[in-house]
Amino acid sequence: MIPGKYRSVSGRATNNVEFKLNKDTPSFPGRLLQHDLERNYSSRQGDGRVISPSPRSKSSCISSTTNVTELYGLEMKTATSSLSAFGDSSIQTSSKSRIRQGCHSAGPNVSGDHINLVSSSMPSFPILQRSSEEKILYSDRLTLERQKLTVCPIIDGEEHLRLLNFQHNFITRIQNISNLQRLIFLDLYDNQIEEISGLSTLRSLRVLLLGKNRIKKISNLENLKSLDVLDLHGNQITKIENVNHLCDLRVLNLARNLLSHVDNLNGLDSLTELNLRHNQITFVRDVDNLPCLQRLFLSFNNISSFDNVSCLADSTSLSDITFDGNPIAQESWYKHTILQNMMQLRQLDMKRITEEERRMASILAKKEEEKKRENQKQSLLKEKKRLTINNVARKWDLQQRVANIVTAQDRKDSDSPSQDPCQIDGSHISASPEETGSLDSGLTSALQGLSVIDSHLVELDGDTLSLYGSGALESLDRNWSAQTAGMVTTVSFTFIEFDEIVQVLPKLKIKFPNSLHLKFRETNLVMLQQFNALAQLRRIDQLTIDPQGNPVVNFTLWKYYVLFRLSHFSMQKINGTEVTQNDMIMAERLFGILAHVASSELPQYRLISILGDARKKQFRYLLETKGKKPGIVNEENNDSKRLIGENTNRATLNYTTRDFYNERLEEIKEKKKFCKMYIEDLVKEATEINMKNEALQKLWPQMFIELVRDAVIEIRNKNSYMKLCLQQITDQK
Amino acid sequence: MLSPERLALPDYEYLAQRHVLTYMEDAVCQLLENKEDISQYGIARFFTEYFNSVCQGTHILFREFSFIQATPHNRASFLRAFWRCFRTVGKNGDLLTMKEYHCLLQLLCPDFPLELTQKAARIVLMDDAMDCLMSFSDFLFAFQIQFYYSEFLDSVAAIYQDLLSGKNPNTVIVPTSSSGQHRQRQVLGEASMEGVEASLFYQCLENLCDRHKYSCPPPALVKEVLSNVQRLTFYGFLVALSKHHGINQALGALPDKGDLMHGPSLDEELERLLVPRSPGLIQLGHASPEASWPAFPDPSRLAPLEALHHIPENDGSTEETDD
Repeated sequence: MIPGKYRSVSGRATNNVEFKLNKDTPSFPGRLLQHDLERNYSSRQGDGRVISPSPRSKSSCISSTTNVTELYGLEMKTATSSLSAFGDSSIQTSSKSRIRQGCHSAGPNVSGDHINLVSSSMPSFPILQRSSEEKILYSDRLTLERQKLTVCPIIDGEEHLRLLNFQHNFITRIQNISNLQRLIFLDLYDNQIEEISGLSTLRSLRVLLLGKNRIKKISNLENLKSLDVLDLHGNQITKIENVNHLCDLRVLNLARNLLSHVDNLNGLDSLTELNLRHNQITFVRDVDNLPCLQRLFLSFNNISSFDNVSCLADSTSLSDITFDGNPIAQESWYKHTILQNMMQLRQLDMKRITEEERRMASILAKKEEEKKRENQKQSLLKEKKRLTINNVARKWDLQQRVANIVTAQDRKDSDSPSQDPCQIDGSHISASPEETGSLDSGLTSALQGLSVIDSHLVELDGDTLSLYGSGALESLDRNWSAQTAGMVTTVSFTFIEFDEIVQVLPKLKIKFPNSLHLKFRETNLVMLQQFNALAQLRRIDQLTIDPQGNPVVNFTLWKYYVLFRLSHFSMQKINGTEVTQNDMIMAERLFGILAHVASSELPQYRLISILGDARKKQFRYLLETKGKKPGIVNEENNDSKRLIGENTNRATLNYTTRDFYNERLEEIKEKKKFCKMYIEDLVKEATEINMKNEALQKLWPQMFIELVRDAVIEIRNKNSYMKLCLQQITDQK
Repeated sequence: MLSPERLALPDYEYLAQRHVLTYMEDAVCQLLENKEDISQYGIARFFTEYFNSVCQGTHILFREFSFIQATPHNRASFLRAFWRCFRTVGKNGDLLTMKEYHCLLQLLCPDFPLELTQKAARIVLMDDAMDCLMSFSDFLFAFQIQFYYSEFLDSVAAIYQDLLSGKNPNTVIVPTSSSGQHRQRQVLGEASMEGVEASLFYQCLENLCDRHKYSCPPPALVKEVLSNVQRLTFYGFLVALSKHHGINQALGALPDKGDLMHGPSLDEELERLLVPRSPGLIQLGHASPEASWPAFPDPSRLAPLEALHHIPENDGSTEETDD
């Protein structure tokens, strides 16, 4: 393949230029490739050797002419050594003898005879003339290597020249060669040229070597339509441009330039080899527009991801590529990603790709893909979680605001008529409820709109169960496996009304028997008494109440109250702070009396009813599950007995959720109504009786006297009374 | 029932006025509420306990607000219970916010309205900076006035507003000529002085006390409060009331300010509670005569009576409910 390239080059150069040599010596193209890839050279020279037809071994012969070239303006014959060298130029090893021969024949001693470098009419340009002998011998080639030339000499009478070599001079500008219209090969390697110019007439030029110069821009190549090889390595080119017309170009060397990216490559329809080593390329585009590209060298650039070179995957012709010295080559996925994406590849980083590697690559790629998918799933879940939490938070926020407005309204409604002596402005008071009312309805409708989306989130992460949103509490009804549930030691509640949490605490106690750490955030803990509800749990080691959304934490006494009320748990940490003995004593000092008063001064019947209430509440749930799990219920019974035994004097301090409490108040109201009527009736009856009694008491003395008087009057006449009595007796008979 | 006033009223009204009906109703209500429990140890026993606890003032513990505020006796009992339970907080020297005091109140009465606490805090803070910290005694005495005389203060506030806006709510009592003078003077003084004129204010209040059916502070003491100043604001008046020694005594629920932190029997109790935890660590207040509250027999004195029934009943009921 590689020799073939040059064979065809020479084939197209339809004349007697000795490209034939290349055919005969496969070592040359081999060497070309070797240099090209700089396998062994890291110096700049490595790139410089790309196509140079003159082997280094010749320098010894050339050096002899250096003394001559210093004399610019003088008429002298110089540097003919190169001329003689030319014929052997591309032969490195196989025809060494000929090189030497050339050296001898065109050695320094001879050069003076054959070539005249004379100053022209314009003093600055030397004029080169060769002897006719030379001309005949090397009619189509001319080598002016290492002549310390600072300008191109005027080459007279050499119109048939096909090959011109100016290697290793100090030429700053391409000049005086426009008459060499047959030129096919022009070598200006290692000069000081700053701009490509003066080539517009060289229409048949096929090989242009401008390596190691100072060119900043690719330009002025418009007429070089048959260019086959273009070497611009070791310049200062920052971007690829003005090459789109070079449809015959097969080799382009841009190594060691300042390219930051690769694109604008369309039109290079014959390009088979592209060397871009040692640039600062971060991305590659357009490579898929090169139908013949087989070798692409991207070593030592700044490519860090495959996405930046993804167009390579679309190239069908590419068979050889290098990426070594790029960040991408350090990645673990490098090799298999490349292989997976570029099935057509035969060599990667100068190594043949085996079937095995390819198989491995596809397996790895599959794994990678899976992992990626998994990651994506994870991040999707994460995102969903974030969204849900946001949503829950928003809903919570709205709820809170609605609640606030409602209570504010209630308060205003209740006290606006008289209470607040400072609110003189009556109109203001009457206006505000309306205002808040409308706002209220607006918020409520927004709330309903939101509820369409996920309104809660349950997350089990290791030993932590996190619940977001009140809906999440329902998850406690789920069938948790004993193992999972047993693992959970931390339960965190966020965006849930504490009163709702209270209702599920018995469930929590049963389902997650090992939960020791409770976290509350945005749960609307506002009162100390709410902590009473936690007393019914089995055990709490740690309690974390986030100040956010829990105003109770702002109280100076809250911690002591918690310690006091939950003293039977002997908690270790509250809000991450270790509980000390002093804290416990302080808590006892502050609230011990309350417990004492509550337990010892409460009338017996109330004590029973309050304790009973607490337990009834606990049992409500237990009764529901009784049928299923009698064992647990029994255990619970013992548990609650123990709990009350531990803690009699503070068990009276319990918490009923607001709804439940209101319900109870309602009940009490009913009862009260009845009692009121009942007592009213009773008292009325009693007072009536009392009144009658009193009236009777008042009348009685008088009545008694009257009765006695009547009786006395009746029996005053003894005889007649007797008669009357007898009469009555006989009548009865 | 032996008071001579009794003869002036029909029995029913008399009972109602003395709140006997309230307690009877409540007793029956409680009986209904706890039918099962009470039936185990006898209805007579229940009534004994109930009225005993009413006498001791412990009947209001953890009761609903509507009951707690139903009678002056209940109110006084609640004040006293509050003082007894949280005296230690004051003793500790903590300054608390209105909200925190409210929480403490709610520990004793779950549905205690925030509004009342707010009003009490307004008295302490002179109606501004409601988030400020207050000392226990300041709050307690302000709360006492606000809670015990709640309805009275509402009426006073209305009168005060009327006076401020130039109306005289008691035109019948106050001679028109003088009221006219007052008004003029008030208009003149308003630019430089805050509040209302004290003597006029007192006249209105005296009248109010006469016809007020709720409890109000003794008019003589109100007069005393008002006689010290020329003019005063509403909150100035309330502050003066809350700080007035005599009114506190007349109310009879709380000890004098100086003795507020004392309470030997409770301290002993507390010490007893703390001893198992930390022997010798706590030395609470020393004994002082606890004589100034005749309305409340010390519950410890009644202890033997309760002790008779205490233990067996407790055990029985615990087992019952556990089943």
